[in-house]
Amino acid sequence: MNGNTHNSADGGQGSATLAERWYVPVEIRALRVWLPFAALVNLLILAGEALRGNGAEQLGVLGAIVLLLILRASLPDGRQRWRRYAGQGLAAAILVLGLLSLLRRDATFYDLWATSWLVVPSALALYWMSAGLSGSWCAGAQDAGAAELGLARNRSLAPRFEAFALHTFLIHAVALVVAPVIWIVDVSISPGNILGGAIFDAFTLEHFRAVLGGEAFWLWTRNSLVVALGTTLVGLLLAIPAGYAFSRYQFAGRKGAMFVFMLIQMFPGIIILVPYFMVMKTLGLLNTSLGLIVAYSVTALPLCVWMLKGFFDAVPRALEEAALLDGCNRVEVFFFVVLPLSLPAVAITALFSFLTAWNEFLLALVFNTSNDAYTLPVGLASMIPATGQLWGDFAAASIVVSIPVVILFVLFQRSLIQGMSSGAVKG
Amino acid sequence: MTPHRPDAGLTAWMCAALLLCAAGAGVPHAKAQQVSVDDAAQAYRQIRIEVDYAPAETIAGFEIWYAGQAFESTGEAELHSTIRVADTSALARGPEDVLFDRCWSDGLPIHRDAAGSPVVDPDASNWSCALSGMTPGAEQWIAVVPVGADGAPLVDTESLQPVVGRTEVPDERTPPPDTRPVLYALSLVVLSTVALLLFLRRQDARQGRSKSRLAHVYVAPALIALATLTFYPILYGIWLAFTNADQSRLGDEAWIGLANFATVFAGPGVWRVTLFTFVWAVSNVLAHVALGLALAVALDRRGLRGRMVYRTILLLPWAIPGYISVLAWNGMLQPDGLVNGLLGTAIDFFDGAGSARTVVILVNIWLGVPFMMMVFSGALQALPSSMYEVAEIDGVSRWNQFRHLTLPNLKGTLVPVSLLGFIWTFNSFNTIYLLTRGNPYSGFGEPGATDTLITHVFAVAFEYGQYGVAAAWSVLIFLVLIGFSWAYLKRTRAMEAVA
Repeated sequence: MNGNTHNSADGGQGSATLAERWYVPVEIRALRVWLPFAALVNLLILAGEALRGNGAEQLGVLGAIVLLLILRASLPDGRQRWRRYAGQGLAAAILVLGLLSLLRRDATFYDLWATSWLVVPSALALYWMSAGLSGSWCAGAQDAGAAELGLARNRSLAPRFEAFALHTFLIHAVALVVAPVIWIVDVSISPGNILGGAIFDAFTLEHFRAVLGGEAFWLWTRNSLVVALGTTLVGLLLAIPAGYAFSRYQFAGRKGAMFVFMLIQMFPGIIILVPYFMVMKTLGLLNTSLGLIVAYSVTALPLCVWMLKGFFDAVPRALEEAALLDGCNRVEVFFFVVLPLSLPAVAITALFSFLTAWNEFLLALVFNTSNDAYTLPVGLASMIPATGQLWGDFAAASIVVSIPVVILFVLFQRSLIQGMSSGAVKG
Repeated sequence: MTPHRPDAGLTAWMCAALLLCAAGAGVPHAKAQQVSVDDAAQAYRQIRIEVDYAPAETIAGFEIWYAGQAFESTGEAELHSTIRVADTSALARGPEDVLFDRCWSDGLPIHRDAAGSPVVDPDASNWSCALSGMTPGAEQWIAVVPVGADGAPLVDTESLQPVVGRTEVPDERTPPPDTRPVLYALSLVVLSTVALLLFLRRQDARQGRSKSRLAHVYVAPALIALATLTFYPILYGIWLAFTNADQSRLGDEAWIGLANFATVFAGPGVWRVTLFTFVWAVSNVLAHVALGLALAVALDRRGLRGRMVYRTILLLPWAIPGYISVLAWNGMLQPDGLVNGLLGTAIDFFDGAGSARTVVILVNIWLGVPFMMMVFSGALQALPSSMYEVAEIDGVSRWNQFRHLTLPNLKGTLVPVSLLGFIWTFNSFNTIYLLTRGNPYSGFGEPGATDTLITHVFAVAFEYGQYGVAAAWSVLIFLVLIGFSWAYLKRTRAMEAVA
């Protein structure tokens, strides 16, 4: 583990103190990590410029990437003065490139963001190599006392640098995550079906009125509710006893049954879709809620059983044994001891199967050919066919559908994730 | 909007011959013309009319107008078709077996020109046509207007006297399929499951595990449901793979051996779609794991401000219904969408094979990162913080802490979760279907550029209607996945939990 000992390998520095050998200003250490990242981001920007077919800008960005990497390689090490001058020169060159491209580009959001990834790193590098403590370290003009001071300074400053980098990373991630959400909100309140243009430049409720005032949306909602609630009910009735048995009893075939429950989850719906479809067609269950309830409660069943088994495992057996000693029979123990204790777990499993059924698309698409039988996913997707796309109405309907689901998910995220991972990951 | 269905009670009822004459009343130029409806020749959505007229030099053709209500002027009706009057000596009589717009002259199929349009000889004095596209069970008004060489009508088109006809042949409905085989098979599956459970119960009794008497009863409902709705369809699907089942055959498919598998392997693009499926699954999983891990490590940082806010926002791609986010990305990636707006371009990302493939993979990466992030967050929280504190004191850099402490400790999570992610991505359908439907198109029956095995099987089954071939594909996918699932289950603690 020699992460901090970049300078210690040099034998010629034998007379220097440990502090002098160890000390690298936090700014330089940050640049060592950040510059490659800046180069990486500029690689993405290069791809963007390639999409635009902007030859001059591509060359500029490519040059900047090369310069950034050279700058990273030639960062000052505190002994060779020329490195500092080289670094300053390179940083200045990148800064000039960045400023030039800032002048050439339009002042759009994307262009400002792209140039900021040239301007900010190079400006920081130039400033840090020139000013203050790190400036004098770069110049090789410091003694052991200054190094000791610098180490103390590093300790107090490092967390801030780290926080800055983390927030930059996370804010980029958040922007990517939030972009579609903002877009949907914008489309839903913009008149017509405009997909691009300025954000939040107009406001109308026409799409919400069209969706909520129309018959189709409520029909789909009713179908989805019937299917999701039916699935939850049937699924729980099947899964609770099975999960309890797997958790509490040792019986012949237990291992095989649990293995099968696990294996079934791995198979794609498409494998059984064709036979399913033909059976449903033969039995006349296409375009009915019953067909979907039956299909969903079984497809969600394995995960529900595993989730519930995990939850039941957490209920102490001692309580049951005590109840048995007090004269309860096994069924009473289950209903009066185990079930009340694991009610939150059952609720989470119920929520899970509800959400699964509420969001399922493939089976609903195949089993429902009539508009009247559509569930929300199929109905919403049907608003965006190849022609005559109702993006505004779709966006409004999406918001109405998503909000309750997202709220439920966020509220119960911990339990949902815990339950799901007990079923799917940990085993 | 339900499609119009004729009242079942009416289907047997034949409408009385509604025969109205348009016997040339008030027709100045053409001589007497009589249009009649031939009710004996009813066909599905077709009304057959017969036209008798006195041949005349001035007549260069006929226009057939129709409407769902009475009309007097052509302005209120729609033009159904036209018949040209011309010398037919060089023309052949049309084929008898066409389905639509069949016409006859002199009792034989009418002559047709090079374009396939009907032509009647100037000497003829009658022709008849079966007009297609007529709503069953509803009255249709039909008028025939002779036109001159300049296309101008030879009768007063403001005072037409259309004939009324109707066809009572109902919309085709397949007879209710025979449900008995399915029900027999399902009961057989249920009975054998019950028998299996009883057998296991006896075994338990023999081994003296009396305490778990109820266990089999508890498991029974779930197991029976699974058997009827998963095992049975899988077996039925395997059977279908060896039959000629398709859209037109339901319940009377026949064994055709390995022909479907031959179709699969002989089909164009088999290996291309298989390769893309693996590229799709592997690139997605790599990105999901890398980004999920990076975000989890970033969020795990002690003293990070706004962690809950970040966490909640970064969960959104998982919380928002998947089909909605995919459709939103579809809109954002349109030539006039947000992405092009930001870049200042007008690129159709779904146009080229390469860009469409990149885009579907990127969108799916967006969707899948939060799950990995949460799994790794959970695993990271389980690691002792003292380990990092010691490393900190020893001056171990962040990167080395990650490489030598975090990564080895996460291996137990990393491997199974990657395999699971691989299987899930391999199986995923929504992203590709809702973004591209497998397009760019590469030919009928051939997988599109962005098709994976799963979306291609969907297309084979439900767009081309080849259930047998789709079942053969499914069997092959099933075999591939058994391998991966086995690897996954070996790697998880599932087996230990069972034991």
